[in-house]
Amino acid sequence: MIKKVFSWVDERFPLDEMIKHELTEYPVPRNLNYMWSFGFLAMFVLVVQLLSGIFLAMHYKADVGMAFDSIQHIMRDVNYGWLIRYLHSTGASAFFALIFIHIGRTLYYGSYRRPRELLWWTGLVLLLLLMATAFMGYLLPWGQMSFWGAQVITALFGVTPFIGEEVVIWLRGDFVVGDATLTRFFALHYLFPFIICAAVAIHLVALHWVKSSNPSGITLHAKDNIPFHPYFTIKDLFGLGVFMIIFCGFVFFAPEFWIMPENNVPADPMVTPPHIVPEWYFLPFYAILRSIPDPLGGVVAMAMSILIFLAMPWLDRSNVPGGAKFRPGYRIMIYVWFLDLMLLGYLGAQAPEGIYILLGRIATFIYFGLFLMLPFISRREERRSRVQGLPREAERLIREEQEELLRSEHYLRRENDQKELKDIRKRLEDES
Amino acid sequence: MRKLLVLLSAVAMLAGVQSAMAGAGGALKMVDIDNSDQARQRGAEIVVSTCMMCHSLKYIKFSDLSQIGMTEEQIKYLLEDQDIDDRMMSLTPIEVRKESYGKVPPDLALMAIARKKGPQHIYTLLTDYYYKDAEEEETDNHLFPGIKMPDAMAYADAESDEERAEIEAQAADVTSFLVWAADPSAESRRTIGAYVIVYLIILTTLLYFLKRRIWGKIH
Repeated sequence: MIKKVFSWVDERFPLDEMIKHELTEYPVPRNLNYMWSFGFLAMFVLVVQLLSGIFLAMHYKADVGMAFDSIQHIMRDVNYGWLIRYLHSTGASAFFALIFIHIGRTLYYGSYRRPRELLWWTGLVLLLLLMATAFMGYLLPWGQMSFWGAQVITALFGVTPFIGEEVVIWLRGDFVVGDATLTRFFALHYLFPFIICAAVAIHLVALHWVKSSNPSGITLHAKDNIPFHPYFTIKDLFGLGVFMIIFCGFVFFAPEFWIMPENNVPADPMVTPPHIVPEWYFLPFYAILRSIPDPLGGVVAMAMSILIFLAMPWLDRSNVPGGAKFRPGYRIMIYVWFLDLMLLGYLGAQAPEGIYILLGRIATFIYFGLFLMLPFISRREERRSRVQGLPREAERLIREEQEELLRSEHYLRRENDQKELKDIRKRLEDES
Repeated sequence: MRKLLVLLSAVAMLAGVQSAMAGAGGALKMVDIDNSDQARQRGAEIVVSTCMMCHSLKYIKFSDLSQIGMTEEQIKYLLEDQDIDDRMMSLTPIEVRKESYGKVPPDLALMAIARKKGPQHIYTLLTDYYYKDAEEEETDNHLFPGIKMPDAMAYADAESDEERAEIEAQAADVTSFLVWAADPSAESRRTIGAYVIVYLIILTTLLYFLKRRIWGKIH
């Protein structure tokens, strides 16, 4: 019976082929570590956010007079409303934490390098969409920090040359953040996740075309690739279990950890909070914004702090393959950069006075300086590896890759991958 | 193992940033939150008889007090002109309160989560009053200098250590009640949470062994 149904479907829709192509015969390097699970985890949290968001929208009122109260209505009167709301508020932080690790992994292992430039760029578009969605969502509870955060960030667009004032009014729909702003942010906060879903689909198509990178950064010999299912489905599921323990720990035992106390006070346009601080995931970029004395320069620097990632494939033109694993210079650079990012995050939470201003400027300088030094770092590194030679492991992997290239016209050719995968599967079956 | 350490230190730093944001503030006194119904009920009585002269708790209905174990009679005993299904609103007219304090006193329903270290903040504020002049006419507050709120618990008037200890105990009860009021679902959340975490740990352990078994084939 089931067989009949499937064959009926297969005649009309390539279900069987899709399952084979994307799961049971999709080749994945066998040496991936758990750092490669974070993309899947981020996708899982996207689904959590979508579902919890839809249920929240059923009870939320996007009106300046009712928004704050409707959150408390969800927390107190709606059945398990507290669970839905805390899943959503904790989920936002979890999403950023996972995405930051996902991006950090891409940088560390050099996964943005040829032929994965488009994969990298679609990922960065996703980051920008995520930031916009989170920013608009943060206004909805209509607490003090929601209001003043939106007030400050929308005001930043006032630095646009010539039409700054008009742009700010156009964004807010009013001269100040008010009812018009709240309703449009709600509408867009509901719309953007669907754009994100579409962008995720593109990201995945690009991934399944170029295949996953791996810790060595060198394309592996076909015999070192294994099918996604069951090997990586179970690995990712175990990773999901570990993530869920941490995530649910926060949701059930410390949900207010991610909510600033100021945001449990209703928005009041007449009272400015002493420190207007964005959510933790915006802090490094906020610190960069504040460390440039000129307002326009600050906004440009903040935008550049993310857009500069787009240039990574051009900045990093090293002839040494892969990421930090076989490249000592790049490894030091990326660790310094990670530390600098955390320092910026810390500084973003401090009031901009005294030593913090100076530290912020130094950290901003290091942040951009490291990117721009990358071509020089690579050159030095290459000179060194020409003298000393690459590590034996890298040499072996490169030799195997070249042998493979000789045998197949192009290592991305699907037919080849699949034929070889079939061989592997057969060999595995024989062995077991 | 090294990766785990890196990950843990990253989480620790994050937590550090968050707590640095939450920290600061004046010298807060430590307070033990008594989660028993008795403490909350004592707190509720003080809140209704004293705090609600000026403050409201608009997200709580009087009938909700049954959740902290009060019987209908006990609740009705607290009521003046209100109905048991009414929200806990101050009976003093808004204009009067605005005139006395310059603004409407803040709602107390969320107070325990609306300030940094909310419970400690509430407790400290209530027990930080002192007379700023020798004639004992005007009070002020160490935590919140220049506060408009009068010394509702009469802490500055206390003459002996016993009296002070008694007021401190009352302030702790008020804090216990307000902690409950800010998040009435906290207890069921933690109960469900314990089951969820235990379930997830068992599931994840099973997944781990399944993973080892499946990967065992190719090692």
